[in-house]
Amino acid sequence: MAGLAGACALALTACSSSSSSSTPAATTSSSSSATASAAAASKVTLVVYSAQGYDSAMTKAFTQATGIPVKLDDNSTGPLLTQIEASKNNPNWGLLWVDGATAFAGLDTQGLLMKGFEPNVAWNSLGTQSLPADKSYTPTGITLMAALAYNKTKVKNPPTTWQQLLEPQWKGQVGMNDPSQSGPTFPFIAGMMNYLGGVNAGETYFTKLKANGLVIHPTNGPTLQALTSGQINLALVQSSAAIGAALGDKNIGISYLHPVTLLPSAIGIDAKAPAAEQAEAEKFIEFVLSPAGQKVMQSGDPTGDSLYYPVLQGVSPLSSLPSLASTTTQTINPYTWGPQEGTINTWFDDNIVR
Amino acid sequence: MPLFWLLLAAFILAPCACFLLLAVSPRLFSQGSQWFTLTYLHQALTGATAVAIVNSLWVSSAAALVGIALGFPIAWLVARTTLPGRRFVPGGMWLVLLLPSWLPALGWERIVQPDGVMYRLGLDWPFVTHLIMGPFGVVLLLGLRCVPFSYLAITAALAGLGQEFEDAARVHGASRSAALRLIIPILAPAIWSALAIGFAESISDFGVAATLAYNSNFSLATYQLYAAIGNFPPSFPLAAGMAWLLVAAVAIPLALQARALRGRSYAVLSGRTRQAVRRELRGLSPYLSTAGVALFFVIALGVPGFGAVSGSLLADYGGSFSLTLANYHALFAQTNLAAAAGGGLLSPLERSLGYGAITATITVTGGFIAARLLARRRTKATGALDFLLLASVALPGVVFGAGYIFAYNLPIMSRLGIDLYQTVTLLIIAYTAASLPTNARVLVSAVSQLQPSLKDAARAHGAGAIVAWARGVLPVVSRPIVMAWLFTFCGVFLELPLSQLLYAPGSPPASIAIEDNLSTYHFGVGMAQSVLAVAIALAAVGVVLGGYRLLAPAGWRRIGSAIGVPRG
Repeated sequence: MAGLAGACALALTACSSSSSSSTPAATTSSSSSATASAAAASKVTLVVYSAQGYDSAMTKAFTQATGIPVKLDDNSTGPLLTQIEASKNNPNWGLLWVDGATAFAGLDTQGLLMKGFEPNVAWNSLGTQSLPADKSYTPTGITLMAALAYNKTKVKNPPTTWQQLLEPQWKGQVGMNDPSQSGPTFPFIAGMMNYLGGVNAGETYFTKLKANGLVIHPTNGPTLQALTSGQINLALVQSSAAIGAALGDKNIGISYLHPVTLLPSAIGIDAKAPAAEQAEAEKFIEFVLSPAGQKVMQSGDPTGDSLYYPVLQGVSPLSSLPSLASTTTQTINPYTWGPQEGTINTWFDDNIVR
Repeated sequence: MPLFWLLLAAFILAPCACFLLLAVSPRLFSQGSQWFTLTYLHQALTGATAVAIVNSLWVSSAAALVGIALGFPIAWLVARTTLPGRRFVPGGMWLVLLLPSWLPALGWERIVQPDGVMYRLGLDWPFVTHLIMGPFGVVLLLGLRCVPFSYLAITAALAGLGQEFEDAARVHGASRSAALRLIIPILAPAIWSALAIGFAESISDFGVAATLAYNSNFSLATYQLYAAIGNFPPSFPLAAGMAWLLVAAVAIPLALQARALRGRSYAVLSGRTRQAVRRELRGLSPYLSTAGVALFFVIALGVPGFGAVSGSLLADYGGSFSLTLANYHALFAQTNLAAAAGGGLLSPLERSLGYGAITATITVTGGFIAARLLARRRTKATGALDFLLLASVALPGVVFGAGYIFAYNLPIMSRLGIDLYQTVTLLIIAYTAASLPTNARVLVSAVSQLQPSLKDAARAHGAGAIVAWARGVLPVVSRPIVMAWLFTFCGVFLELPLSQLLYAPGSPPASIAIEDNLSTYHFGVGMAQSVLAVAIALAAVGVVLGGYRLLAPAGWRRIGSAIGVPRG
């Protein structure tokens, strides 16, 4: 019986693996309002895969403004990418909205993203630095990796350079995330390698940091928890996480070492989605980058993802964000660093986490 | 019956087979360029993954043994003696089973980590930290989770074991312990069942692997598998290679079980079964026994309770000892905010309750059928069924979920008009398929004791087939069925990996909403939501058990329970 089932599976997949045609996404919606569905007789449902904290608010606002029905798959970045990769031969998604350009570069290299679309907006310098050459994804906001969150009561003079973290006075007090569990952490590691001159220089730095007692936790939450419980005094986490924690705990201070790496949140459109859905996805991106959309982005998750630095001229970040005037920022090329994520993460897990 | 096999093939075999096929033929699902390769199987057998597999094997065996070593005495004490407080034990066991496995791990970490609660209380015991944050702690936690499986299996078996066997032994002059030595072989199906399911559940556990084991730098196979899928771009073929090894691993307890049970009949529950007599505990025994059972529950429930409390009720993410309801306030504030935007936690909770109820009902039906097949004389077909069901337990949820995507999102499926991926239908099917194997095994020990004479007697008196079953068999297995229903319900209610990969966009179950918070900055709120979700699941359990007590005929409840005989 197992043989029969195996043969069936082989037959099915052999029949379908040669096909590369796209399949139409669901054509009727059940999640939008009554008026929208009445008017949406000819509108295709836009399927949004997103990990952003304000995505629910944004999709509701978009449907209200345009009448286009939206189905939202709100998940952590990991499961979303698993879904996209596993359903490669028959994709169901319209657009992907997550933090991290390396994920989009990876999808682009596999030919899974629609190229050539850039909305007509006025980018600021953070925005222009984050635009990809082939226009396969659009940045929507910036967070920084890594912000230094520290315990103000115990740390009177926080370090100002990355080299200072290796000094004996900070032994055992520094914590960061595990890149194989925390999406934003690989860009941080890649950024350090970029800044220090290459992969080997970066490996040397992190090895020394580990020798100085580096503590690793899976993601932003547990690392910040270690900070507040006193297990560590310096936490290297995503800027939005650090600022969100500081909003709730007056003892947490935030500073940026020089340089910090830009981590854009971005939207990429499925290359194999039907043309109608792709057109709607473009409208979605334009809405997100409009003044109305930016208002939703900044209010939809006030203690989390809304704490981002805008990529548009004329939009200011929320007041709790530290100014970037005296901070050196750098970008990493996601197309050169993205493919190395697997090997670098494995090296990190085998040598630094263990 | 052929329909049953067809459904099994479509919903359990197909996803597993599709995932496993990836290891040797990545190109079949567009996950690589080779039509056939052994590279991934080879990779799975070397390096860090090999170490992880070996760790998982011995840890799971040890955990299964711990499960039976603790579960058997507790089940015996509750079913056959006058243990004080025995009425609370079933509920307590349910609680242990309900809890997601990462909750006890979190609680233990909070206690023993550097600058943890233990140290703050003045107990400077680094050896305890080393002990818990290592293989011993992993075996302890997984073993504690195996105890309810053993308890359920043994209790169900004891319920059908009449007094006549012990009496026969005593009449012939056997001492108490010799009589016990007689009983244990009769309970062999239940014991083996408990060992096998304990092993399979432990080897596929992800909660402990991702928390305690990870933080102790002790790598387990499930975590390596998760890492292979979680890295971007994911390596499904490598994960599939490791999955092959997990599937091969469960063949071991099954082979051992088959050898041990070969050729014997264990049907002891008939119309003439005598109700068992409770032994009265005298002297120090009641105190020692109660203390032992209480200690088990303190460790199994107290620690996770502390973990949840410290995460959700204490300020500073659990850093200080000041109690605060801030996280619960934030939870409800966030619920209001999200409800205004149309989301929130209320509808996911309702949704999950519905999914759980539907899945549990379907699963119990299918599980009973499967249990009957497993309990009959072993043929090649039932042996294959046994292996299939256990192997699918050994595969972690993320593998099962990905298998569903590979199997049901094939281009040919869409061309045939079968668009099941990301629908509620497929999600419920996946939940059912994932719960069926364990469900069937929990029922096997009760079902294997049914003598055909029960149904035959009803037929002889003129009942039709269904009425004969309902009147002759159902009353006898009603309690195990209710327990199996509740177990599946709670498992589905709090399930995460399948939900993440397969949920219908726009209709998230509760676990997704909770995971959102736990994995990001809102850790405290996430913990509060988890506490709330577990509380709701428990309330549902209470409602169903209360309903059973009120509605089921008294005779149903009395079957298999021992009468207490006052002794002078």
